[in-house]
Amino acid sequence: MNSSKWIWRIVSVASIATTLVLLVGFIYAIKDVNAPQVGVENERPSQPIGEGVADSMDKKKEYKIAAIGDSLAKGTGDQTGSGFVKRSVEGLAKSSSKKTTLLNNLGINGLTTDGLVKKLDEEGVQYVLKQSDIIILSIGGNDLFQGAQLLSSAKGKSGETTNTTSTSTVQDVTAEKITSALPKASAQLKVALEKIRTINPDSYIIYVGLYNPFGDMKELKVVGNEAVTKWNNVALTTINKYENMTLVPTFDLFTHNLKRYLSTDHFHPNAEGYQQIANRIVQGIE
Amino acid sequence: MSNILPLIQNECIKIIKKKRFYVVLLVLLVLVPIFTYAQMRSSELSRDKFNGDWRLELQQQITDNQNSLGSDRIPEEWKKYRLIFVQQLQYYLDHNVNPKEPNGVTFTREFMDNSINLFIPLLIMAIASDIVSGERTTGTIKMLLTRPVKRWKVLLSKMITMIMFVSLIIFSTFAISYLISGAFFGYVGFNIPVFTGFQISGSNVDMSAVHAVPQWEYLLMQCGLIWFVAVTVALLAFMVSVLVKSTAASIVVMMAALIAGTILTNMASAWTSAKYLFMVNLQLTNYLAGTPAPIEGMNLNFSLIVLGIWALVSVVVSFTVFTKRDILN
Repeated sequence: MNSSKWIWRIVSVASIATTLVLLVGFIYAIKDVNAPQVGVENERPSQPIGEGVADSMDKKKEYKIAAIGDSLAKGTGDQTGSGFVKRSVEGLAKSSSKKTTLLNNLGINGLTTDGLVKKLDEEGVQYVLKQSDIIILSIGGNDLFQGAQLLSSAKGKSGETTNTTSTSTVQDVTAEKITSALPKASAQLKVALEKIRTINPDSYIIYVGLYNPFGDMKELKVVGNEAVTKWNNVALTTINKYENMTLVPTFDLFTHNLKRYLSTDHFHPNAEGYQQIANRIVQGIE
Repeated sequence: MSNILPLIQNECIKIIKKKRFYVVLLVLLVLVPIFTYAQMRSSELSRDKFNGDWRLELQQQITDNQNSLGSDRIPEEWKKYRLIFVQQLQYYLDHNVNPKEPNGVTFTREFMDNSINLFIPLLIMAIASDIVSGERTTGTIKMLLTRPVKRWKVLLSKMITMIMFVSLIIFSTFAISYLISGAFFGYVGFNIPVFTGFQISGSNVDMSAVHAVPQWEYLLMQCGLIWFVAVTVALLAFMVSVLVKSTAASIVVMMAALIAGTILTNMASAWTSAKYLFMVNLQLTNYLAGTPAPIEGMNLNFSLIVLGIWALVSVVVSFTVFTKRDILN
């Protein structure tokens, strides 16, 4: 009987106490959700992002790599999902004695130069870029071949590889569209490159040049080639102004090898195509 | 009122002596280390990948989610979730706060969050489903009712005892989870800011009301909401326990309802009147965290009212049935 008394005492006191605490929490929660008190925010001194963390890494010891840009940076079309980013990190790890790490791959399907410029204002993105020694950028394809990208990436992803893909993209991408997009987009590219440079003045920036995915279509071959060449030229003019910036050409790779290097969506490279781009990136760094 | 206290005392001693409460504690003591270990492995993995920098990890998470937004294969409903999720992550990143800082308190918070709709109700049922039907299975109910005490008093004492143990179970879940995970991740983290007050309108998050609360306060609010949910579930289980003769049957009925709830929350967004079911409303902590409700038009007050009505109805049913029915064996 004595133990029963103790059980009762402990249980009753403990349960009443916890019930009261939980009730307080319950009332608090209702109050907080229904009438949130704003203004307590930012109590914590938010240390400026990036500073102090982006220590001037001894570049000779380690390569920290970040990639940013469109679906090519992401690796769309590569069945293994690696894309040229992972492939070049692997290649670099093999060919050089330095430790290579991929910080982040910030590639987003369908990103245009406009989107990129906006993205570069995000603190999280800046934080990543500030820490990296090598920044790989791929952008512009969606500006020039707008519409084609959305359509083909959706098709390519779901694995529906019918012949209609290529014909429907032709309807979407007209010669006028390509040429009309050029001036504005190339201006935005310049802005983006300069922004990246200011975010991280010490990093090595690699811009992956464009290729013409429609080189095997009569209607688009000439226009596409012209637009891509012009684009790459504009990019080069900006890039030449800076130290530690380079353009990795891909135009020549793909011109006569579209069948070999393009994935089934007829827009993105396939695994082999990405490997070729990665090889060039690695060659440029060594 | 004077003679109800001994009845409650009697019930409490019965629960302890019958070792029902120890079963609950044992389940917790076995399961929490498993979860903790799993969590530790997964955080180790991401630490290796991102050099231990949570900002990089968060940024990658944002990017991955943004990428999936562009895919046509993902249902619109999920896209909405992800869009909201991305905006919240971005908010954390912009304010330089790690939403998943690994420590005992954060683990406890996430554990409690995940256990509100199934795990804690299950523990509650270990006691609530047995409290009346257990007496009938063993036949002791006759002894209880032959005493010169009114039937409603017997039932009320059982109900009060049950609610007392609901509180104890929630507290034990918190305590055990904190003590065990703390051994792995460290016992700190009560003052880390957690953001709450995300208001969701469509697929956009209204950040104007977002504010930081220290984690202990968040946990307190969270446990309060869990308590409300647990009491509701307990009262429902209590009703079933009155209606059904065997303990096993009453547990099965309650489990079926709860599992139906988790399935429904995952797919019932098209069937809007499902929001009046109690099991769809169990995720009260979502309103605190800013996770969108499974069905359009649900908010905290709505869920509280729905749960409250269900609880009230089950109390009324329990008492009318218990006081009127013949006890035969």
